[in-house]
Amino acid sequence: MSPKKKSVSTWFSEYAVVIIFLAITVAAISPSKLSINYIIQEVITRLGRNSFLVIALLLPIYAGMGINFAMALGAMAGQIGLIFAVDWSVAGWQGLVFAFLVGLPIAILLGWVSGKVMNRAKGREMVTGYILAFFINGIYQFFVLYLMGSVIPIRNAAILLSRGYGIRNTLNLESVRQSLDTILKVNIGPFSVPVVTFIVIALLCVFIVWFRKTKLGQDMRAVGQDMTVADAAGIPVEKTRIVAIIISTVLACAGQIIFLQNMGNLATYNAHDQTSFFAAAAILVGGASVTHASIPNVFIGVVLLHAMFIVSPLAGQNLFGSAMIGEYFRQFIGYGVIAISLVLYAWKTRKAADNARSGLRGGASANGSLGANGKPALGDKNGKSNGESKGGRA
Amino acid sequence: MKKTKKPASTRSLIARSILLALYIAVMLIMVITGRRHTILIDNKDAPDGSYMAIDGMEVQIDNQEALEYYPGDRDKAVVQGQRHKIKVDMFMEGREFEASFRIPFGQDMILLSVPKLAAGIEPYFEPFTVLESIASDAANEAPTSFGADSPVGLEEGPPAPELIQ
Repeated sequence: MSPKKKSVSTWFSEYAVVIIFLAITVAAISPSKLSINYIIQEVITRLGRNSFLVIALLLPIYAGMGINFAMALGAMAGQIGLIFAVDWSVAGWQGLVFAFLVGLPIAILLGWVSGKVMNRAKGREMVTGYILAFFINGIYQFFVLYLMGSVIPIRNAAILLSRGYGIRNTLNLESVRQSLDTILKVNIGPFSVPVVTFIVIALLCVFIVWFRKTKLGQDMRAVGQDMTVADAAGIPVEKTRIVAIIISTVLACAGQIIFLQNMGNLATYNAHDQTSFFAAAAILVGGASVTHASIPNVFIGVVLLHAMFIVSPLAGQNLFGSAMIGEYFRQFIGYGVIAISLVLYAWKTRKAADNARSGLRGGASANGSLGANGKPALGDKNGKSNGESKGGRA
Repeated sequence: MKKTKKPASTRSLIARSILLALYIAVMLIMVITGRRHTILIDNKDAPDGSYMAIDGMEVQIDNQEALEYYPGDRDKAVVQGQRHKIKVDMFMEGREFEASFRIPFGQDMILLSVPKLAAGIEPYFEPFTVLESIASDAANEAPTSFGADSPVGLEEGPPAPELIQ
């Protein structure tokens, strides 16, 4: 294979998801018959609403734990905080801070539990996190449906089910609705920009950039590259991984509060269900992989995914006469993107293992890729590579 | 060899205690400054005739929009925090006055009688309790249960909301 051809194919495989997504979104704009101004305004709103949640996925990826599907735990903590904010009638931005302060210890506890569990399932963190979220969801439902109003006092009878305990299925967040977005809204041309929400997101980005340079951040990246080498270097691997998950869970708690204040209502029992799924889809659409992600991936992903979400229902309506087609398309694309990214990741890892193997045969490593244990990513006898391998990583 | 955990030093204990106190303090500040109260602004005659409703007035709470009231009117203003200002413009009498008041922390709703305030009768506001029994839509309230395809464990909705003083 010529170097030029190789570089083109490598580039394409690197950005396959972004390219496919961009093509689909651009193609759907015209049939949707939506104005560009409307699409841009919606994208701005959704950037403010979703970016924080997506950024919460970065640290576990740095720590080599893949996409933190257990971020739904943080979302549940945020929702519990919001329920108490509504119950205590704490309104405005104070209500959001109050909700975060209530959710914070819960998020830390759940993050710690999640980190502990994931340390026992090294190499399978993503599926473990996904299932853990289902398990904790059961506890959350028990807490909100049975304990609130019976064991945990709820002052506001309006948010309770008619039987006297348990929180209503849908909670009106009118008291905190868009209280962060409306602190300062600036009109730039025809677009309305929620400045404070973007400042909060920018501060989080600054925190992530700063954190990467700290000792703990460097440790996290070392653990993400190779746990065995990091351990040999004296880095407390398990503790570092737990810290990464705790921070991610806490950020997910804050992210869910920002998301819900923008939406203005809370589906008490299932608002958190697809939090991690849409955040994962967004970061993957942005060109990240389960081993490599950056802040630009977050924003590219949110813009692309949500531009597609905006145009697809109407494109479906206009092309096929049914908006439901667009809705199905939305779901299909979301799951499809995650599947494509995981398949590409597996394919790249396997290819890197093959390269490493052929490089060793020739006496030198083709790309110097290492497996989870600090050994070249050779894979097992069946040609399967180690899940932690960094081969092909950008 | 198993590592033994070092006990936390007095310094770190103090630091942790300060952090905890700060955490609780911020939470309390948020609750106090962010708590919502409803003020029912009333312009009615006293049952015993001790004061009379104002013929026509414009009432403004804090910096909210001023509203016009005529005898027998009652409206509400939703406010945040405990300290508030009321500005009354009795345009039929050509008189204007301002007053500030403090809503008790635990009170969700108060009934503020402007005629009482204008007549200098204390207290011009009193707690107002809402007997809330909101009709429930069983289908809407049905929690999503694992594997269930019908609402679980919900009773019939109680009667519509009723306001009592």
